[in-house]
Amino acid sequence: MHPILGRAGRLALYLVAWLALCVLVAGIFTRFGLDWTEALALLAPLCLVYAFVCLSAWYVSRAVPLTASGVPRVLVSSVLAAAFASGLWLGLAHAWIAVLGLTTAFAPAAERYARQLPFLFAIGVLLFLLALAVHYVLLAFEAARQAERRQLELEILTRDAELRALRAQIDPHFLYNSLNSISALTGSDAPGARRMCLLLGEFLRTTLDVRARQRIPLADELALAERYLNIEQVRFGSRLQVERRVDPDASACLVPPLLLQPLVENAVTHGIARLLEGGLIRLDISRRNGRLAIVIDNPCDAGATAVRPGGMGLDNVRNRLDAMFGRDARMDAHVEAGHFRVELLLPAGVDPDTIKDTEG
Amino acid sequence: MRLRIAIVDDEELARAVVREYLTGMPDVEVVAECANGFEAVKAVSDLQPDVLILDVQMPKLNGFEVLELVGRDVAVVFVTAYDQYAIRAFEVHAVDYLLKPFGADRLAAAIDRVRERLGRGETLPVQPLAKEGSPAPGYTPRILVRDGPRVHVLPVEKIDYVQAQDDYVCFRCEGREYLKEQTLGELETTLDPAKFVRIHRSFVLNVDRLARVELDERENRMAILGDGTRLPISRAGHARLTALLGR
Repeated sequence: MHPILGRAGRLALYLVAWLALCVLVAGIFTRFGLDWTEALALLAPLCLVYAFVCLSAWYVSRAVPLTASGVPRVLVSSVLAAAFASGLWLGLAHAWIAVLGLTTAFAPAAERYARQLPFLFAIGVLLFLLALAVHYVLLAFEAARQAERRQLELEILTRDAELRALRAQIDPHFLYNSLNSISALTGSDAPGARRMCLLLGEFLRTTLDVRARQRIPLADELALAERYLNIEQVRFGSRLQVERRVDPDASACLVPPLLLQPLVENAVTHGIARLLEGGLIRLDISRRNGRLAIVIDNPCDAGATAVRPGGMGLDNVRNRLDAMFGRDARMDAHVEAGHFRVELLLPAGVDPDTIKDTEG
Repeated sequence: MRLRIAIVDDEELARAVVREYLTGMPDVEVVAECANGFEAVKAVSDLQPDVLILDVQMPKLNGFEVLELVGRDVAVVFVTAYDQYAIRAFEVHAVDYLLKPFGADRLAAAIDRVRERLGRGETLPVQPLAKEGSPAPGYTPRILVRDGPRVHVLPVEKIDYVQAQDDYVCFRCEGREYLKEQTLGELETTLDPAKFVRIHRSFVLNVDRLARVELDERENRMAILGDGTRLPISRAGHARLTALLGR
């Protein structure tokens, strides 16, 4: 949309500015042998038309954007466009002078009018260049505003994604089932019920806590996954077995929060929970050659067709790894011989302070 | 009337809370606790309980599949943490649908509804159960066949063909035959039409098993399977077969 024509307020302001210019030029012409009436009779209609001609500077400003084109190109195209527009104007002026010459009032001034034509051309060029400058400024202004709006939209999108991740990651059914376990324990094992309440409280608190941070030490993420597993072990009893092998060097590595927890949750809900006898979740974390390798392996129901093991949880982890590390991180998930296996490989970055702690 | 109840849930604690609630109720007796669907089918067959308190999400055989197998013999009350199955539960004539966690009064209300239904001497409609009890969207990946206390799970890709036998269908699968109370027409709608084709009034064939088509001495078309089995092909069946195979 044209930045001036498209808005009534701006167009009014623009025309008022032209009125002032028209009077200014008329004042100059009075110094060159015209009186005020003669000057205004010539300029008022010409300026009105030229005001609209100069709006076409918008097309020039768009076709030759300041940022993308070199200075010479901008200068040459501006001058050419101005000369062309002013030429048009000159033609109009010529015709208008002829018309004025037919009237008795202005016939005597015809000779003096004609002498102003070269001057009029120069003014036309200047005015067009001025209009072009105004358009360039407006264009830059709009671009800045649009960038600001895009930035805002992006922020809203990010926030939205975070909110959705929050909702997806604390599965309400996990809560319902845990509460059902607590309800059962209150009847038979009151200390057990209390222990479960505490576990659940800690799990929820840490989940909400770590979310606010960009990266957390792997040790913290492991502790969170551990709490989750403890809660699920109350539910599934001996069906859920866990074996962990964690390289002590790895625990200081920084990872995005909630990296392991969704994968462990996956192993429970899509693996163990679907097997009559349950099974063993193996967690293997090692650090070598500046890389952090995480492997989670669980048995799964080989007969179960259709549903891809994982789904939402895996996609979420993959997307966040992508966003954070790009090509430096890799995630691989596959089913093999009745086992589901997720392998993560990411840069083993550590907090400088933590290094001092462990080395000193 | 004393209600005989079987509790089916893969979680020990979830069974425990139901058991605890039932202990406080008059005229009920817990006759079985089952940790999975197979045990539930066996319990229904061996012990003939009046009521199943049935979890939905269980390994291998879920609650709906259990209901499909035993639903005509027993009143079912679903218990689950998931609310999205409620509509389907009532479509398959479950008596009630409890959301975990629930209180003793809610379970008591469900038991009252069971008594009410049994008191009316209502028999459950057979066909809708068999039909609607099958996995709702898409084609079924496996066939469940109840054989007394046992349940056979037949992955559809392992089925050679299905033959209609009166009110039953007979599945031929890995050299064995399995009978199920269902009509061939009903079954056909649950099978992937890109894999299974009705070649005859009484036969649905897994096209992967077809070796060739021959004419017999009376000019009737016969389907010859990979293992040499010969099945008749009707005129309409031949048209469907050629349409599927694109010849």
